[in-house]
Amino acid sequence: MIEFLSRRLAAALVTLALATVVVFAVVEVLPGDPALIMLGTDARPDTLAAIRAQYGFDQPLLTRYLQWIGGLLTFDLGNSHAYGTSVGKLIGDRLQVTLPLGALALSWALLVAIPLGVFAAWKHGGPGDWGVMGLTQIGISIPNFWFGIVLVLLFAVTWQFFPAGGFPGWRQDTLGSVYALILPALSLSLGEIAILTRVTRSAMLDTLREDYIRTARAKGVPERTVLFEHALRNALIPVMTVTGLIAGFLIAGAVIIESVFRLPGVGQLVYDSINNRDLIVIKNVVILFTILVLAVNLLVDLAYALLDPRPRISA
Amino acid sequence: MSAFLARARRHVGFQIGAVLLALFVGTALVSLVWTPHAVDDLQMRAKLLPSSAKYLLGTDHLGRDVLSRIMVGAQTSIAVGLIAVALGMSAGVMLGAWAAARGGWVDEALSRTSDLIFAFPAVLIAILITSVLGASAQNAILAIAIFNVPVFARVTRGAALSMWGRDFVRAATAMGQGPLGITLRHVLPNIASVLIVQATIQFAVAILAEAGLSYLGLGAQPPVPSWGRMLRDAQTYVFQAPELAVWPGLAIATAVLGLNMLGDGLRDLLDPRLRLLRVG
Repeated sequence: MIEFLSRRLAAALVTLALATVVVFAVVEVLPGDPALIMLGTDARPDTLAAIRAQYGFDQPLLTRYLQWIGGLLTFDLGNSHAYGTSVGKLIGDRLQVTLPLGALALSWALLVAIPLGVFAAWKHGGPGDWGVMGLTQIGISIPNFWFGIVLVLLFAVTWQFFPAGGFPGWRQDTLGSVYALILPALSLSLGEIAILTRVTRSAMLDTLREDYIRTARAKGVPERTVLFEHALRNALIPVMTVTGLIAGFLIAGAVIIESVFRLPGVGQLVYDSINNRDLIVIKNVVILFTILVLAVNLLVDLAYALLDPRPRISA
Repeated sequence: MSAFLARARRHVGFQIGAVLLALFVGTALVSLVWTPHAVDDLQMRAKLLPSSAKYLLGTDHLGRDVLSRIMVGAQTSIAVGLIAVALGMSAGVMLGAWAAARGGWVDEALSRTSDLIFAFPAVLIAILITSVLGASAQNAILAIAIFNVPVFARVTRGAALSMWGRDFVRAATAMGQGPLGITLRHVLPNIASVLIVQATIQFAVAILAEAGLSYLGLGAQPPVPSWGRMLRDAQTYVFQAPELAVWPGLAIATAVLGLNMLGDGLRDLLDPRLRLLRVG
């Protein structure tokens, strides 16, 4: 198990290293002169020179790259061009909104999807199964940001149960902050619920065909125990894999959902940084998202190793 | 073909998908020659009107007819989605088929590269590209296409590898045919159905992605009508004209639902054992 996990960790680090090269190339090499991107083509030559000196754009490429990597390793990400404050602090503050939002959406998705998937597999071929599958088809097809807007229409405009957007801040109003995240988390989880329900259903259908399930049923084990203890334990392995895959998309989906609900999270920071042409923030946020995606996938691998006693050498 | 049609006639999901897709494509085609009002006809005195006989779905914040804009918006969705998927598919199929034919380091390098692109969610690729190159429909197409390359590369590689193990391909190898000839003559024709099904699903994913990007202002720029952009504008007026936020979303959901149902139906009809890659 240790060997399996260390292999996966090594692979993730290689991916991360490659990702830094790609992001660096796209943000700092592809545009030619990053200072020109940040200030616009009508900028005066002396301000351009000042920006180049401030961010080290006048240094050789390799030096710039190594300086950035060194900064990443020591959590010194430099200063934002638009905000004038430390990028590390900027991202840290915004994560206090995005991480709870993602966690809330993912827990909610699992909480809904697993029982729904088990139910559909149990009723395989019947109207219950058809109904659940039809709902997942619709769930995959609805854009989550539109679902968010519809939730605002219903629960903030028509019946004023929830705020239409904004975020009071954890320290100022903890309960209000939780409240402000409920509609966004619901919208963010829509597609994930649909996908996880389908995966749970098909994994359950595969396990329910196994001999040991037939044996358990023949021995008279109650159906609920067969479904939730014997079958679900094995069906959870593919569910975990897909959860890892979609966690990344959940983080990216947050960019749009935060825009719908005007939440001051990392997604909103990315959006503002595009408009401000703040390349320093963009490159660091993209790497941060990549680290999050890789970290979630490593956690999934760990869960894998715990759920499945057979150590997986190559996956 | 007639056997396929006979089975298609019994597959309800496939039929619903086909009808929804026909509605989507038909709307775009009709809008090429006719819309109820001119798309860019600004009537500042007629802004934010509710549905009426003159404006079936009402008017937006600039007094433009919403129905006309939704009809033309279908063109934008189809153009962006179709070009992006076609580009991503061409590159992905070529790379995947190459990896399957060559094996060894080519295969290893391509697989690792596609893992790398998968580690970046599509929206982030789009954000990176548009932050450097600027927001436009072309750059949205580029971003969606890049995301599609590893999807098709993986599907093609997997399907092609299983073909390379088959007897008729081995026979062709033994007869001295080269890898390119075998790929073109034997491998690709036999995995076409997998690719068609995947392309249908990716078209749906691309329409969702385009809507999301243009909602963020990173897709087609005004005055080109796009469904995502209409939703962004509608949100500003959600208290005055809530129904403005309903129609473009319904249009997106209908188009995507149609393609998803058609894709799932095609999979059932062409090859029920097939497992799709579904990421978006």
